[in-house]
Amino acid sequence: MNPFEEKLRNALRREAAPEGFAEKVLARTRGLPQPGEKAWRQFGAFLALPVLRGALAAAAVCLVIAAGVVHHERQERWRREGEMARVQVRQALRIASVKLNVARKKVREINRETPPSRLKCAVHERPQGVIT
Amino acid sequence: MNATQGRIYIKPALILFGAMLLGAFSPPAFGQNPKLDIKNLEPLAKKASEVVDVNLDGALLKLASKFMTSEDDQEGLGIIKNLKGIYVKNFEFDKPGEYSQADVEAIRGQLQTPSWSRIVSAQSKHEGETTEIYLMTASDGGTVLGMAIINAEPKELTVVNIVGPIDIDKLSALEGKMGIPRLGEKVKESSKKPEDHHEKQK
Repeated sequence: MNPFEEKLRNALRREAAPEGFAEKVLARTRGLPQPGEKAWRQFGAFLALPVLRGALAAAAVCLVIAAGVVHHERQERWRREGEMARVQVRQALRIASVKLNVARKKVREINRETPPSRLKCAVHERPQGVIT
Repeated sequence: MNATQGRIYIKPALILFGAMLLGAFSPPAFGQNPKLDIKNLEPLAKKASEVVDVNLDGALLKLASKFMTSEDDQEGLGIIKNLKGIYVKNFEFDKPGEYSQADVEAIRGQLQTPSWSRIVSAQSKHEGETTEIYLMTASDGGTVLGMAIINAEPKELTVVNIVGPIDIDKLSALEGKMGIPRLGEKVKESSKKPEDHHEKQK
């Protein structure tokens, strides 16, 4: 072994870490911010900007108003459809009742002796009248 | 037994099996649908001076019932409670002959099945008016499944189709209520109330 090799060997000799080295390293890493934590902290700082806070509040208010308008529109449409359906029901019942009673009256005219509840009986009897 | 003989026996068996399958999977009330197809009358709307077209299925009837809160509506509410549909087409024309017998026959033809019974047929030859009332009853004979009214006058055609258990006595008893005129009153003019004018399509 030549002197150079001897020097190199001495320089690369394994040495034990000083006492308390591991504890010191761990203590220092604890103080450092974690990779994700930094981003969150930045985001928090961004949110803390007064302009942004105002904008967010305005957006939230707009969202609530929009939801209210949509809900109101739906309710109104439902009410309109319901009212229209109600009118249609009344109209349909009116026409059906009038036509039914016109037919009943005619049957009654044909069969004067028949009691007023003829139609109910007629379900089974099937009377057919012709007025000339 | 050879192959030809086997085929002879298999064919009727297959037909029988097919018929049984058809019977097993067809709905029990097949041919007992009280809803009529009255779309063929729609072209008459162009010729009519006044049209009432009501198409209310079960969902719309339920919706309507939520709004029938006034005292005046209570009788009607009781009638529509269990109904599955109300369909009305009423056309009023300026002059006679605007609709054809074929239009009426198309509806009448649907009522010529065993499940429908014509309970009233009143014809006034003098006035040229025909009113027919049909009922569809369940096989037990007691439950009414639907009703149809055809009223054909020279200048007016009305078809009413009610789907569901309708009480015709209650329907008839609406006379004088809900704006329905009594028969002694002039029916034609007052059968349509002003409140419904916006519903009419010309």
